[in-house]
Amino acid sequence: MTLKLTCPNCGPRYTTEFWFGGEPVPRATPAAPGVDALRADFERVWLRTNVAGVQSERWFHHAGCRRWLVTERDTRTNVFHGHG
Amino acid sequence: MATAEPRSAGASFEFEGRTIPSGADDTIASALFRAGVRTFSRSFKYHRRRSLYCLSGDCPNCLMTVDGEPAVRTCVTPAASVRRVARGAGWPSADRDALSILWRLRWLMPVGFYYKSMIRPRWLFPIAERVIRRIAGLGPVPREPSESAKERLNHHPDVLVIGGGIAGLAAALAAADGGERVLLVDEGAIGERIAPGALRDRIGVLRDAFARHASASILERATAFGIFEGPLVPVIDADFLHLVHPARIVVATGAVERHAVFPGNDLPGVWLGRGASRLAGVHGLSPGRAIVVATNTAEGLLHLDVLHRNVTRQGGGAVVAAVVPASLASGVPAGIEVIADGTVVEASGSGALRSVVVEAAGRRRTLRCDALVLSLGLEPRDGLLRQAEFEAVLGAGDVARPGCSAEEAEDDGRRTAGAAVPEPAAASSQSSAPQLGSAEGFVCLCEDVAVEEFEHAWDEGYRSTELLKRYSTVTMGACQGALCHAHLKAFVRQRSPGSWTGSPTRARPPARTVRLEDLAAGARVPLEHHTSLHERHVASGALMDWAGTWKRPSNYGDVAQEYRAVRERVSVMDVSTLGKYRVAGPDATALLEHIYPCHVGDLKPWRSRYTLLLNEAGYLLDDGMVCKLGDGSYYVTFTSSGGDGAESWLRDWTDERGLTVHIANVTASRSAINVAGPRARELLSRLSSDACDAQAIPYGGLREMVVAGVNCLVIRVAFVGELSFELHHASRQSEALWDSLLDAGREFDMLPHGLDALKLLRLEKGHILIGQDTDFDTTPSKVGLDFAVKMSKPDFVGRTALERIAKLPRERSLLPMTFAGARAPEEGAQLFADGAHVGNVTSSRWSPALDCGVALGWVRHPDGAPPSRVMARDTIGHTEGVVTKGPFYDPKGERLRA
Repeated sequence: MTLKLTCPNCGPRYTTEFWFGGEPVPRATPAAPGVDALRADFERVWLRTNVAGVQSERWFHHAGCRRWLVTERDTRTNVFHGHG
Repeated sequence: MATAEPRSAGASFEFEGRTIPSGADDTIASALFRAGVRTFSRSFKYHRRRSLYCLSGDCPNCLMTVDGEPAVRTCVTPAASVRRVARGAGWPSADRDALSILWRLRWLMPVGFYYKSMIRPRWLFPIAERVIRRIAGLGPVPREPSESAKERLNHHPDVLVIGGGIAGLAAALAAADGGERVLLVDEGAIGERIAPGALRDRIGVLRDAFARHASASILERATAFGIFEGPLVPVIDADFLHLVHPARIVVATGAVERHAVFPGNDLPGVWLGRGASRLAGVHGLSPGRAIVVATNTAEGLLHLDVLHRNVTRQGGGAVVAAVVPASLASGVPAGIEVIADGTVVEASGSGALRSVVVEAAGRRRTLRCDALVLSLGLEPRDGLLRQAEFEAVLGAGDVARPGCSAEEAEDDGRRTAGAAVPEPAAASSQSSAPQLGSAEGFVCLCEDVAVEEFEHAWDEGYRSTELLKRYSTVTMGACQGALCHAHLKAFVRQRSPGSWTGSPTRARPPARTVRLEDLAAGARVPLEHHTSLHERHVASGALMDWAGTWKRPSNYGDVAQEYRAVRERVSVMDVSTLGKYRVAGPDATALLEHIYPCHVGDLKPWRSRYTLLLNEAGYLLDDGMVCKLGDGSYYVTFTSSGGDGAESWLRDWTDERGLTVHIANVTASRSAINVAGPRARELLSRLSSDACDAQAIPYGGLREMVVAGVNCLVIRVAFVGELSFELHHASRQSEALWDSLLDAGREFDMLPHGLDALKLLRLEKGHILIGQDTDFDTTPSKVGLDFAVKMSKPDFVGRTALERIAKLPRERSLLPMTFAGARAPEEGAQLFADGAHVGNVTSSRWSPALDCGVALGWVRHPDGAPPSRVMARDTIGHTEGVVTKGPFYDPKGERLRA
């Protein structure tokens, strides 16, 4: 895949410079342990939306600024729609 | 005329024992044709005699082995630099081929026979495959490594134009006029295949106007073979694999004249109009002495004119008849018989065309001739265009609107260059479906597929273009559907009108044949990291081997001596490959406390701790050390291959929690040397006036020391199980420090040790290597690392998951085991208990300290307690082992705490 995305720190670069980080998911905040918390934790760690359409996703620019960024990509066309 | 000399003096090449002269403008094929060669190849399946047909690189008829490379399209390959040419198939020769008997035996080889017969016995298949490949004349794959070393070159134009015909040139020129950077690529040299005349002149004018732009680049004899996502278009020429990353693409690859299907349509002497016109107009050769031209287009009349003028002028033959619609009859030059509204229904001859049968007004006439030139409309050469569904790709000229005039093509190109938004590529509206009248004519010249084979396949249930394609292999040959794709669609549409089953087949790269060697252009040995001591290791004769992306010493010649140096005296090892980071800032403690399962907040300055790195599922990512230098100031290490991933993990959580933490990767700028062994302290004290006794730097501690004049952060570590100090220092001083250590170490008979010794030393201690002993789903408790996880902490990454996992039965563990036999099992040996397979060995060595084999291995124990005895089976045999408790060596850890 040779998609080009625009890193806010480094400018337009090919995705070979990045590691894919998947969909951004809300992280757990420290909470009292309980069945519901476990369930929420499970869903957070394992379940993804995987939309056919515009999806937010994270990339780590390992060959550049070594920062994480969030992009909007249409999974049907692989067109990037700027940054979240 | 067939024996005429080349127009200009040139070179020559060897062709199956003959010397063939060639002119400056010659292709291999034109030089051979001039020398009288008429059999250019034998067909793939039936060994039918084949001769030049398209002269455009679209058909398989001229494929030959050129300078050892099989399947070269000789009709588009310049003859100038070629040395040796040979035809692939045919026994004893392509001219007289006994295997042409296969045509009479074709009833034995119906479509799909291969799939039905090549089943049993299985041992026969490899032999049959070799025979079939040989008979098919696919040519030998070169065994020697290629001499060429092509490089990759990246281009980033605004517009890439593929194809330098009228439409492509007009598009390129318009884009360049608009101030854009334009790259134009063409398979041949621009204009070379067009017969001299108004069209060629216009191409020259457009080319010159385009080339004058500073922002214009042209690549000739360069093949674009695919459009990948991005978009990325790989283009191969003689020197480079060009990786073109354009913003927009204009595909102007033109069209191929329609391949007509009738009995005898593959006989030598049957030509496509552009091919014949090229032969006469560009190369000054005549396709035959008595030529019949059949056309229904204005373009065909141009070809007729080119043939008429050139052939008669040179006295080599004549156009004897023209089969044209009545509406075009007035365009036929005087002296040529016109057969109005006729259709060619059959061509016959034995090995070469002798006559054609033309049907007109219900009557059949036989015309004697030795060349039949067909110009019956165009099929788009759209293999590239159809690959690009989502990209900013537009077709211009014949590829989008087959049969448009030169003026229309120029307008189209100009308009396409200006179009900012892709519009749906226009369907080939002008061309009607090709005729599939006769069952006997060849649809596919590459794979010898006739209409009757379509019918067989259809009857067997292969009833869509995609299925018919796979079963009959039509469109899968060298031409990639250039000639036959239209017929495939037409056949299915005829049988099931209006159905989706007649859609075009999926187009995929490569659109043209490519060499594996070209795809590998620029491929190198992967990125190779060296530590600052690399030269020292090489100079001392170390065996260097890959460790991730690093090159590290495996040993310096004698692993046993290196091992003994560590256990008995003192040794040094270059551990600069460790991932090393400075982590500081107001929230540094909060970050590390959150991502590490051990306590960080209670760490006192100048103390360190072994740490694991877990993901949210509670699985091991990496391990390392966390060292506290002061308030909110840390030095952390990770494994050699895990550092980069760990860094992204740290940064991820920093962002996620909105923390203020500075993370600096010092892996390259800081080097590290481990000084290990019972006399390590003595060695250090020879080189430093700073104290390094157990009070100054206790186990679990660190301090700053000046060693041999080099400022070092010295960390007590435990990996090899002896008293050890890791000396972290500035990389530029690494060689000086290494030299001083080796120098001072002579007194202790010191040796450096490499990875081989290290792996044995750590295994004797039962220390795991992340990645070697762990899988992606390894939790700490499965590998005996519970001590490094503090469930008493209220929160850390992975805690929730570990809490849940702790309630489940543990069914798999990494266990230490000893093997008392004559040898240790191989790493990867399979483990059995009571005859049942239970797991595998991940690390194994012969331990000099214990005088037995020691190993770590995964053992399944679904019923609770793991087995006490195991049997390891490897490539050598069996070894009996006992599951024990680790560590094997110095279980109380007295030596490393010294």
